[in-house]
Amino acid sequence: MLDFKKEDIATILVRYNVAMEKTMTPDEAAEQLYPKDKLLKAVAVAIYDGEEDDVIDALDALLDAGKDPLKLIDEALLPGMAVVSALYDEGIIFLPNVMMSADAMLEGIDYCKSKTKEIPQSKGTVICHVAEGDVHDIGKNIVAALLRADGFDVIDLGRDVPVDEVVSKAAEVKPVMVTGTALMTTTMYAFKEVNDKMVEKGLNIPFACGGGAVNQEFVESYSLGVYGEEAAEAAKFANYILKNGANIDNLRDEFHFH
Amino acid sequence: MTVNRYTKMAYANADEMVFGRAKFPVKGGLGLEIGAGYAIPELNYAPRPQAGVSKDALVKEYERITKDAMARIVQIGAPAVVLETEHVQQMSNNPSWGAEIAHVQKSILEEYHEEYGVKCGLRHTIGDIREDRDYLALRGSKNDVMLDAFEQCASQGADFLSIESMGGKEVFDYAIVRDDIAGVLFGIGVLGTSDMEFVWQNIASIAKKTGRVAAGDTDCAQANTAMFIAGGLLDKNLAHTTAIVARCIAAARSLAAYESGATGPGKDCGYENTIVKAISGVPITQEGKTSTCAHSDVMGNLTMQCCDMWSNESVEYHGEFGGTTVQVWVESLAYDCSLMNTALKTGNEKVLRDLLMLSDRYRDPQGYVLAYDNAYRVGEAIAKNGNDTYLRSKAAAETCCTILDEGVKSGKLSLTKFELNALAAVQKDLAALPTEKSKFVENCMTKYKAEIPVFKTENYVL
Repeated sequence: MLDFKKEDIATILVRYNVAMEKTMTPDEAAEQLYPKDKLLKAVAVAIYDGEEDDVIDALDALLDAGKDPLKLIDEALLPGMAVVSALYDEGIIFLPNVMMSADAMLEGIDYCKSKTKEIPQSKGTVICHVAEGDVHDIGKNIVAALLRADGFDVIDLGRDVPVDEVVSKAAEVKPVMVTGTALMTTTMYAFKEVNDKMVEKGLNIPFACGGGAVNQEFVESYSLGVYGEEAAEAAKFANYILKNGANIDNLRDEFHFH
Repeated sequence: MTVNRYTKMAYANADEMVFGRAKFPVKGGLGLEIGAGYAIPELNYAPRPQAGVSKDALVKEYERITKDAMARIVQIGAPAVVLETEHVQQMSNNPSWGAEIAHVQKSILEEYHEEYGVKCGLRHTIGDIREDRDYLALRGSKNDVMLDAFEQCASQGADFLSIESMGGKEVFDYAIVRDDIAGVLFGIGVLGTSDMEFVWQNIASIAKKTGRVAAGDTDCAQANTAMFIAGGLLDKNLAHTTAIVARCIAAARSLAAYESGATGPGKDCGYENTIVKAISGVPITQEGKTSTCAHSDVMGNLTMQCCDMWSNESVEYHGEFGGTTVQVWVESLAYDCSLMNTALKTGNEKVLRDLLMLSDRYRDPQGYVLAYDNAYRVGEAIAKNGNDTYLRSKAAAETCCTILDEGVKSGKLSLTKFELNALAAVQKDLAALPTEKSKFVENCMTKYKAEIPVFKTENYVL
């Protein structure tokens, strides 16, 4: 069998991920981002570790110290998750870490909610769905988890969602954004129908679409479409809309790379 | 049909394996013998989005696709081709749609075969439509419709019958984004294998009844999901070491088609197929550098090493400078096959195989393990434990980790610290798993029933 000498390999291929890997370990990088307060830090560490029981223990310590349960969402849980999101954005940790942290943080939010009768204010609502006729939902599940982890309320309509159901829900709750994912060329055509019916109803809501066969050119063919190449972009879109408004041209200028 | 487990390797050693030649060639279509000493292009395509609006529009689209592709095959003097139609959901949910398309396509192939003598065949990959909106519904009325689609398409001209079956995906999807290797193993190796046995015994019966070929499956729904999430070298979504462990488990799963009556050719996107071929000797289709129209991978040459048919995975039908996409890509595939066939006829096939393999061997841990010599070792681990679907999946995963360890120690396979840590975590998790299937299944049933709302145990008979 043919083989290379070790020194010849670099003339054929370059493992850029090895060459470019950051020297700092994820734990070291996280340490720099944790809150200074000891009790808040314990929440952040538990979220970073994805340990749901530890999150509850850390929240209990804060509640015992007299903290308001609702304020803990904004002051302990979301900042803790922000550490994880920042590390992910910098390429220091990978998606499974984020998902496990999100699970832990959401458990913490439910716990805080159970400790009060007040209703927390979210950053905004996003509707997520998989195109009609399409049942491939792992991308949508990741999008929904990352949006929740960023503090958005998510209405997850699931998969194979009829066009009219998406439109009527959008009309009902007037979300910050609607997301649509599809794997196949034939099912992504439903996005155009969603778009046209939202326009008919005067719903000028950004419609973030991505997944398998979906591409920027297709998404730009309908007026509300904003193309997302990665699941993690959904939260960036939603935050941008909160800050800058729902102008589709501006969103495309900011986030369309091709 | 019964299930006959593989407990021995089809090949005495890895070096026996080459492209274009399989231990057990398969006859089918119009004059084809797959794996009989020549490599064949297998073209795959997708209709344009708007073509799905009606049956007539869809039939017309596939007619155009087929005519375009066959015309180009003749224009460049290619001796053989297989067309693969992967059903869009309308074609499987309405079996008469798929059947009419199969009939129209096959009629065109027959014209080209009669007029020019082109060896050709038609694969139909029926959609795995066995699900309700919220859940997999693997048994029951959806399964009946799916099997009807198989039978109608076979009756109307589909020569090779395939599917990308989805069993276990609900558990896998949950587990893979949480680095839960037990869940990955359960989803692919236990649930997926079990479902394949159910599905493939039925498909094999239909193939026998209609005189067609029960071809093969792929773990597209799971191992390819892992590969796509893992992405390129700089993507940060999943360790490539974890993705290749999922792939090796997938080999133990995709093997179940051939244990349940299928004969090959295996499906193109089953990157686990080199392992499967090593164990079973069935011919396989593979994809790589000529499937960049559909997706990127990090082993574009290597996957050609032992293929019997060479595919482009899928391309949307539309115009390009060089013709329509199906013409452009079938031409690329045909020239690749021409090179492989020249190597075969001149006795240089092992040289070309090794060049293809070596050019990607150290690019990524996935290619490293799928290099034919290492793939053969994974196959041996599966065959050694062949009678137990859990233990063979576990052995595949463990052997994968061992191969990666050895690669790192050789100094030739470079992994990031992240990949090394992920590999160590997988090894630790594998070491903690039970040694008996019954215990593993019991543990997983309890855990995933509690954690995954869409996991319906009635879908599986374990």
